[in-house]
Amino acid sequence: MTKISSEWSRRNFLRGALATGTLVLPGSSVLIGCATSGGGQEQTEGEATEDNPLGVPTDATLEVYIFNGGFGDAYATDVHQPMYKEKYPNAKIDHNAEVDIAGALQSRFVAGNPPDFVNDSGDGQIPLGQLVSDKQLYDLTDMYDAPSWDDPSVKVRDTLVPGAVESGVFGDAPYVMHMALTVYGLWYNKTLFDENGWTAPTTWDEMTALCGEIKKAGIAPWTYQGVHARYMNWPLLTMAAKLGGPEILTAIDNLEPGAWGHEAVRESANALASLKKNGYILQGTEGMDHIQAQGAWSEGKAAFLPCGSWLESEQADVTPENFEIAFMPEPLLSQDSAMPAETLRAQAGEPYIVPAQAKNPRGGLEYMRVMLSQEGARGFTEKVSSLTVVKGAADGIELPPGLTSAQQGLQAAGDDVLTWMYPTWYKDMENPGINSHTGELMAGRISVDEWVAGCEAEAKKVREDDSITKYTR
Amino acid sequence: MSVTDVTPRSDARSTPRRPRPGPALQHGKAGFVLAFLAVPVAVYGLFVLSPYVQAIYISLTDWSGLTASQTFIGFDNYVRLFDDDQFWVALKNNVILMLVVPVVTLALGLFFASMINVGRRGRSGIEGVRGSKVYRIVYFFPLVLSMAVIGVLFKYVFAPTEAGGIFNGLLGLVGLDGLAQPWLGDPRFAFWCVVVVMIWAFVGFYVVLFSAAMQSIPKDIYEAALLDGSSRFTTFRHVTLPLVWDTVQVGWVYMAIQAMDGFALVHIMLGISGGPSRAGDVLGVALYRSAFNSYRFGYASAIGVVLLVLTLIISVLFMRAARRERVEL
Amino acid sequence: MTTTSVDHSPPAAPPADPGPRRPGPGVGAGAGALNLLNGGFMLAWALITTLPLLWAIVSSFKTNTEFLSDPWGLPATLRFDNFVRAWSTANIGQYFVNSVIVVLISVPLTMLLGAMAAYVLARYDFPGNRAVYFGFVGGMIFPVFLALVPLFFVVRNLQNVPLFGEFLGLNSYLSLALVYAAFSLPFTVFFLTAFFRTQPTSIAEAAIMDGCSHFGLFFRVMLPMAKPGLISIGLFNVLGHWNQYILPVVLMNDPEKKVLAQGLASLAISQGYRGDWTALFAGLVIALLPVLIVYILFQKQVQAGLTAGVLK
Repeated sequence: MTKISSEWSRRNFLRGALATGTLVLPGSSVLIGCATSGGGQEQTEGEATEDNPLGVPTDATLEVYIFNGGFGDAYATDVHQPMYKEKYPNAKIDHNAEVDIAGALQSRFVAGNPPDFVNDSGDGQIPLGQLVSDKQLYDLTDMYDAPSWDDPSVKVRDTLVPGAVESGVFGDAPYVMHMALTVYGLWYNKTLFDENGWTAPTTWDEMTALCGEIKKAGIAPWTYQGVHARYMNWPLLTMAAKLGGPEILTAIDNLEPGAWGHEAVRESANALASLKKNGYILQGTEGMDHIQAQGAWSEGKAAFLPCGSWLESEQADVTPENFEIAFMPEPLLSQDSAMPAETLRAQAGEPYIVPAQAKNPRGGLEYMRVMLSQEGARGFTEKVSSLTVVKGAADGIELPPGLTSAQQGLQAAGDDVLTWMYPTWYKDMENPGINSHTGELMAGRISVDEWVAGCEAEAKKVREDDSITKYTR
Repeated sequence: MSVTDVTPRSDARSTPRRPRPGPALQHGKAGFVLAFLAVPVAVYGLFVLSPYVQAIYISLTDWSGLTASQTFIGFDNYVRLFDDDQFWVALKNNVILMLVVPVVTLALGLFFASMINVGRRGRSGIEGVRGSKVYRIVYFFPLVLSMAVIGVLFKYVFAPTEAGGIFNGLLGLVGLDGLAQPWLGDPRFAFWCVVVVMIWAFVGFYVVLFSAAMQSIPKDIYEAALLDGSSRFTTFRHVTLPLVWDTVQVGWVYMAIQAMDGFALVHIMLGISGGPSRAGDVLGVALYRSAFNSYRFGYASAIGVVLLVLTLIISVLFMRAARRERVEL
Repeated sequence: MTTTSVDHSPPAAPPADPGPRRPGPGVGAGAGALNLLNGGFMLAWALITTLPLLWAIVSSFKTNTEFLSDPWGLPATLRFDNFVRAWSTANIGQYFVNSVIVVLISVPLTMLLGAMAAYVLARYDFPGNRAVYFGFVGGMIFPVFLALVPLFFVVRNLQNVPLFGEFLGLNSYLSLALVYAAFSLPFTVFFLTAFFRTQPTSIAEAAIMDGCSHFGLFFRVMLPMAKPGLISIGLFNVLGHWNQYILPVVLMNDPEKKVLAQGLASLAISQGYRGDWTALFAGLVIALLPVLIVYILFQKQVQAGLTAGVLK
């Protein structure tokens, strides 16, 4: 209330009146935009020095919005903001924890007065692709090319795992910084495997043999997230790339015709589809959702489950006492594969952005540099129990068993890390598009050929839709 | 007693006319009318009328909701819509909801209502079947529940046995194991599960509605039919049905409009994409998905306009049908 | 099938199974069997209606393992902690409170605005009366979906309103209640207009003669007289608002502000409910038991209220 009286002005009144009148009509939002300023707010910038490579205005306010979801916001208030404040004692941080990012910020983007740093995540995520094509995001290249926080002789981009910067590239430049690193693969209960003398298979032949044994023991060898069958697409593409090389993923991302029909992709699809034919998938899986299938897996009804490294915390409440969650990379389809058995998919996630029309964008960039420091990344891992894109930052931290085994897998993989972009670039192509074809394939209702045709059709639909901005890598 | 006298009808057509106000009521009227209408009209105009009007305009733009300006693109969204296979899937499902659900629901409702009221020919003449009072209460249970709650419940009823579902187990109990299916995971069945649940949810409403209508039919008519030796079916066909026909018609329009909104059930039971192979999609979900998942507000609004047209078509068709019916009578 | 003439068996009446003949006055044997068959249908539907609900209630007292392995069995012990987890951990308690707050605002608001408009439209002649009336009533056939997109922005922009903005906008109880009220107005106005018209003019005239103002007439004479109508439509609105799903899904994204039906559904379909089925079912029971109890207590009024809509 007090705020309003001090800021009271004709302009506010006009904006309010327009807003209350029935008005979101395009024309009126233009008027609201005009009423605020000539277009965007005035940006402040400091002088770039050796100690302040990004030219942060040292006494300016930094307005931060953190998504208050699964990760909470303690990592920001307890780790990163103190670091920022320590370096710029005269700066003020206006911290906001928000559960509905779109609800809180969408109108500010429209009005041209967005905050300086946003963790655009959660149910109310404003789609990143849309923000990029509406030119609402600040180019992060300067930040990635700046000297890293810990060692001025190394650029920020060189302290990160492969694929981390690329994961935020839309078209010509990186616009999104992804902090969390998710490792994808297959998950099993190590206790159960040890009891039965089973070992994690490294080739598909071993996998098939082990499935036979597991089935004999009265357990379903596999389950997956049922109607969310794209979870099964992850091992499918990973196994295909391990066999045929990472170029096939690039082709898929670039929407090249025939990319989904690559021999390696077909072979991988064949292998996974054979699980259903051999009766190796938990009965009823295709009728479940992720909660039901993962729950059944936690209850010991199935041995293998494809997922990302969030699985452990997602299942925390329902994981029985003697259930040791363990990670394994997908097995190799053939001995002469293009990539080693340790290869895995690791995808950078949890997006952070600096709005193009922010008041203090350089401060936003600096805040990212803080996050990507060794100390910032360690603090993140400790607070939210997730790996980060910063190399070596999680070494020596006590982690829960599943995450530990995922981190070991990541270390073993070295630079053999796969990643693909099309679900980020073209959300609808992945889901519902590819998702439904893979669901049909896994349920045994279509052949591999039909699956390929279906996926190709989804790619074609995006390729030929002029209203969708295309990206390549 | 003539048939028209007992028709339990008090719908809009027969509501009394506005009473003619006497001179006393004319005094100071204008200010009062204005004062009383201003707020309701303002609230209604702001939240209901203005969005409807704006939706039609937005459907002609490519607005993403993130920019202050947007391009007027004429009917491009509609062209795109008609080229989209998924739109036709959703439209087809909406038509099924509009036709199948009312037919089955009203038929079951009529049957149960006539059972409850005149279903039994006991020693004391026509009466409802045993336990009618309880049935009237029990059948109505789903009506007081939110569609969202019903959706959550049936998502689990239809879940595979391995995930705790009971429907396949029930089939097993009555010896129909062979019919067990991953119901919500199969594109052939997923949408029909929604149809079944919708019928389950609404039958009770029509039982109560038709009961009310049937109760105002005098018992003598039935006693007379009984003496004439007419069968139950004949009685139903020639006595009950004509007397409640008006209610059936109104009920039909109501049900068809209700069924247009499969949103809660499809969204919860099948998910935002419309289930396996997206086969269970409906227009409401498609609209929500386009708008709040993909930020294609123009496209979403075009779907809304199609929904409007569809609703108007039903309303007009039924009104015309109803008028012809009355002329023939 | 015949009932009076028991001697010739009825043609083309498949369910007529000649059972033991105990012809009473005017009651045939076939009729007896048919009574039985019909009774069977009735019972079957009653079971179909109640079984899922009973199953939900029983499941809400089980452990997760019992729920998975023995869907029909009874729980070994009654797990009341499921309800604790549902209420606090899964946030159902907060959702419940949110629903109560919204309905407490929205229903009185709807009734007041609806009664005011309906009264004026029913009993006062003025230019534009018909237009306003049909403006309201026409809203009944418009699908709410068409309005969703602009409605989202209208509500969002309300946060910019001077003075009141901080109480409005998205994720606000007041906004949601206002939207509920607005979308309930067409039917409420339609119903109450019909109701006010049936009230005798003489009383109104007498009251005015006695020096009652138009306002006094409405609040002190007309509203009390319209009580039965207000109760019917009030119950209709309470249930309708309590059970709303699509509007809060669009307008209430903040997990702390979700209403009961919406919160329960989002637990069941989306983010990490962590396979805690029995807590989910406890939440389901929290959502359905209170309404069922209220309904059983007031079943006549509730049935009348809900069906009044179509009968009127």
